[in-house]
Order: sequence, then structure tokens, then C-alpha cells
Amino acid sequence: MERRNLKGVYARLLENYRQRAYWTKKWEITWKNTLMTAAILIGVTLVAWLYHRLSAGTVNIMMFYVIALIFIPRFTEGYVPGIVSAMVSVGCVNFLFTEPYFKWDFSREGYPVTFFCMIVIAVAVSAVTSYTKEQSQVLARQEKQLMEADKEKMRANLLRAVSHDLRTPLTGIIGASSSYLENEPFLSDEKKRSMVRHIREDANWLLNMVENLLTVTRIQSGDTNVNKSMEPVEEVLSESVRRVKKRIPGAKVKVFLPEEFVMLPMDAMLIEQVLINLMENAVFHADSDREIEVYAKAGQDEVTFFVKDYGPGIALDRLESIFDGESQTGSRESDSYRGMGIGLSICKTIIAAHSGRIWAQNHEKGALLAFALPIDNGGEHAE
Amino acid sequence: MPNKGTILIIEDEENIRDFISTSLRAQNYKTVDAKTAAEGMTLAASLCPDVILLDLGLPDMDGIEVIKSVRAWSMLPILVISARSREKEKVEALDLGADDYITKPFGPSELLARIRTAMRHGAVAAGHGAPSQIFTTGGLQIDFGKRLVRVDGAEVHLTQVEYKIVALLAQNAGQVLTYDAIISHVWGPYMDDNNRILRVNMANIRRKLEKNPAEPQYINTEIGVGYRMAEEL
Repeated sequence: MERRNLKGVYARLLENYRQRAYWTKKWEITWKNTLMTAAILIGVTLVAWLYHRLSAGTVNIMMFYVIALIFIPRFTEGYVPGIVSAMVSVGCVNFLFTEPYFKWDFSREGYPVTFFCMIVIAVAVSAVTSYTKEQSQVLARQEKQLMEADKEKMRANLLRAVSHDLRTPLTGIIGASSSYLENEPFLSDEKKRSMVRHIREDANWLLNMVENLLTVTRIQSGDTNVNKSMEPVEEVLSESVRRVKKRIPGAKVKVFLPEEFVMLPMDAMLIEQVLINLMENAVFHADSDREIEVYAKAGQDEVTFFVKDYGPGIALDRLESIFDGESQTGSRESDSYRGMGIGLSICKTIIAAHSGRIWAQNHEKGALLAFALPIDNGGEHAE
Repeated sequence: MPNKGTILIIEDEENIRDFISTSLRAQNYKTVDAKTAAEGMTLAASLCPDVILLDLGLPDMDGIEVIKSVRAWSMLPILVISARSREKEKVEALDLGADDYITKPFGPSELLARIRTAMRHGAVAAGHGAPSQIFTTGGLQIDFGKRLVRVDGAEVHLTQVEYKIVALLAQNAGQVLTYDAIISHVWGPYMDDNNRILRVNMANIRRKLEKNPAEPQYINTEIGVGYRMAEEL
């Protein structure tokens, strides 16, 4: 509660400061503004002088300066440049371009009207321009805040799912081992073996989870900041298949290597994790006798990896959100226990950090999960 | 039962130390424990164990320092225990003279296989037991004298460079070799860091040696570190 109050006070102070700064900023004189204004005015004066040499006409010269008055607030900040240049423009027209040349003459008819109009144009344009600039800044800020909120939401989802999912196997491990220690004399040998086997299964599952979480910490603060090096597609493919088969001994997976030898910039450990998660997802959800197929296709500027299963496919309403880390519809315990939601959302994070794309679709006989990584020829020898 | 050798375990986590020494004693190895790097270095010098098992995360100093200090006076086989996600650490340890690494978490069978390999290579390095002229693993057979490679009895034609890579891996079978180690052995020390050429050669070697290059049996990839020839299938 206290914290929230403090936050409020800070916000008000900040707002106050911003408003004061806002007004001083409107009337600030800076080098950048001065130079920009001077440059535009001198330019216009030169053009006007040329025009004046070719065809005499004071009215059009006035128009040149009006154009300048519209452009100056566009490239400067605040009201000062606009107003100053309005005065300078009127002065220039009077001094340089109306008879008598190079002499001041304030007695001409309608001069105060011209002067007044120029000042009004300058102020109005300055006001409109600075308002537009502000609006676009506000929009950009809001967009950034939204993005931050999105990231925050994803992180919160992940944490919630993780703490739930970690507790389940831990309960199994603690329960089985305590029960073993307390009831050892009464347990049959077979029972003891099965308890230890369950402890091992749960521990392996925990390991899988932790490895997934570790990969997330390898991506620094969610930016596109991964340690890339050139890695052959085929090695990453076969290595991840080998690890899946080691972890799930009954898994039926078939790999097809791309025809030609391709190397891609990537963090191999992370991409391997993506492939492993996609394959495990396929193994558990397809639940079919037919082999899962894993393959890659090299295109013009990206390489696409596919994990294809022959199961029931993905519910249409989940196709879009399957990588978002939301819990499954109806939160079936069996599903959340396997933690696939987390695995897939981690895939999305990893692929995003590689500036790639990841998507899910159904084919006639099951689901197809795929991701594409840019080949990025420019940086091929960067590392 | 004869004693198979002495293993020095330098590891600060009691649970892990306990599990390792239990599995090793069950297989008739003699084990000695050290909880800190300093203790480990003293024991290594006084006991001259057959293999040192070294955890890199020790409380008093970096395990890397232990490798340096032991390598200053001995070629004792050192087997490093490391976490999976730290490829840089593994490469550094290997470059400084560690013989191999094992990734946490590991099971007893994996550990025993690594220890057997390390002891065999230790014996060859110390001059006991000569390296054999013919290397066999599964259906792969390499005759170093005749520079012949056979898969399931059929001769396989490798280029000069491909043969050099395969022979190097076979001479160090069971041990991981870093990309840099292979490159400097095959192409000499002045080759640049770009390991693409090694990767391409490896892809070709696999297409020639492996029944299914997508799931290699003989030469395994250690992502981010290097390659390892399987010693026993």
C-alpha cells in the first residue's frame, strides 16, 4: 500500500517537473534552432534575390518568406524561431526587396497589416507543428509502454506456470523419498525399485524444465541479443534428435537433412532447445504410431525447420496462441504437468531473439510446427 | 577383486561426491575426496592418482587454476565436470589441458565410460601400452599403417584432409576434440579461426562413413565445443 502511495507522489512530482520543463522548452533558444533558422532564412533570401533579379514583384517574394515560415517550425522546436523569423522576413522584404532598396521605409501603406499577418502565421504554424510533434512522441511512448507490458505479462505467465509445474514433480520426489526412508522395512523390493524409478523420472522431468529456463537466461533481457556463430543446420538437427531419443527412449523420430550443406548464424544450444521442445510436444500430443518427421528446407534468405506429426492436430482456436505460454484450454492436469505451454513459449522467445518466425498449422493428418531463421549473408563472416 | 585404479574426486557438493564415490567403489576403483581446490592440488601431488575428476565451480578458487597447476608438473588425465550451457568454459578447460569433460547431470554408466577412456589414454601418454595399429568401433575400422578406412568391410575413399580428421578423432576415440585442436592439427597453426572448412569436411565424412548421416553413430557432435569419435557402440 505504502509503496503505491510513494509511486503516486513520484508520478505527480515528475508530472509537475515535466510541465514546467514543457513551457520553458517552448521558449528556449538553442544553437541548433538558431543555426537552422538562419540557414533557412538565408536560403530563402538568396532565392528571393535571384527571383527579384529576374522579374520584379514584391508580392511573390512575400510568398517565398511565407513558405519559409511554414518550414522553420517543422525543423526547429518551440515558438522562438518562428516568431523571430517572421520579424526578420518582414524586415528583409522591407529593406531588400521594396523601393527604396537598402533603406527602411515604414510609411508604406498596409505595412502593419503585413507585419501582423506574418507574426500570426509564424505563431500558428509553430503551435500546430509542435503539437503534432508532441502527439507523435506520446504515441511512441504509449506503444513502448504497451510492449513493455506485453513482455511483463509473458514473464508473469511463465513464472506462474513454472512455479506450478516445478512443484508437481518436487512433490513426487519428496513424497517418494520420505516414504521410502520412513517405511523401508515394510516395503517389498519391487515397490522400492518402482519408487526410486519414479524419483528418477520426476528428477529428469525437472531437469528438462530447468534447462528450458536456463535457455531463457541466455537471452539477455529479451532483446535480440544472442551469441550467434555459424553452425551447420545438419549438426543441430541430428544432435537435437539424438537428445530427444535419449530422453524419451520410445520416441519415434525421423530426420531428413537438407540436400546441400548450409550454415546459419545462431546460438546452437538455443535452437537445439527449440527443436527438442517442438519434438517433445509432437511426441506427447500426437500420440500416434507413425514417426514424427523433422526436416529443414533452405530458401533464398531463410532456412525453415519443420516438425511434422501425425496426430489429432491442433484445435483451430489455439493455432494462433499456441506459442504464447497461456495455459491450455480447461487446464487439463496431464497437459500442464508436461509443461508444454512453457516449452512452446520459450521457443517463441528464442526464435524472436534470432529475428526469425515461428508458426503452427495443421496438415491433412496432423500438426506441423515450423520456424524460419534468416540466413543473413551480410554477417556471414562476422564471427 | 583387483583394484582398478585410484580416482581423485575434487568436488564441493557432498551429495554429488557421495554418488560418484559410491558408484566408483562399486566398480572396484579406489576413491579419494577433496572438498576444495587447494586440498585437491595437494592430494594430486602426493597421491599421483590415475584420474582426476574435477568440478569447475569450487569454493576457494576456479577449477581452471587446478588444471593449470597440475599440468605444470604432470600429464595425469583430468576429467572436468561442467554444466551443459557453458561451452566456453568447457573449451577453455580443454585448451588448458583437461583431457575431457562430462556434463552435469550424468549417470554412473556415462561416468565410468569416460573414466575408462581417460585411463587408457593416460596409459598411452605415459608410455605404457602402445597405441594400436588398427582402430575398430562398431563396423568402422581404421588401419593407421595402411591409411585404410573400412565400413562394414567395404573400403571407403576419403580425401587426404578427411582421412587426417578421421584418424585424429580415432586416435583420441572417446575424447572430445575442440574445433581449434582439430584445425591446428590438420591445417597447421596458421589457419584462421573460421571453422567452416572443418564443418564442411565433417559433413562429407559423415556422408561417407555413416549409414544415416542424420543420425551419426561414429562421430558425435558436441555442440559449441567439437567432435567425439565413439569408442564403443
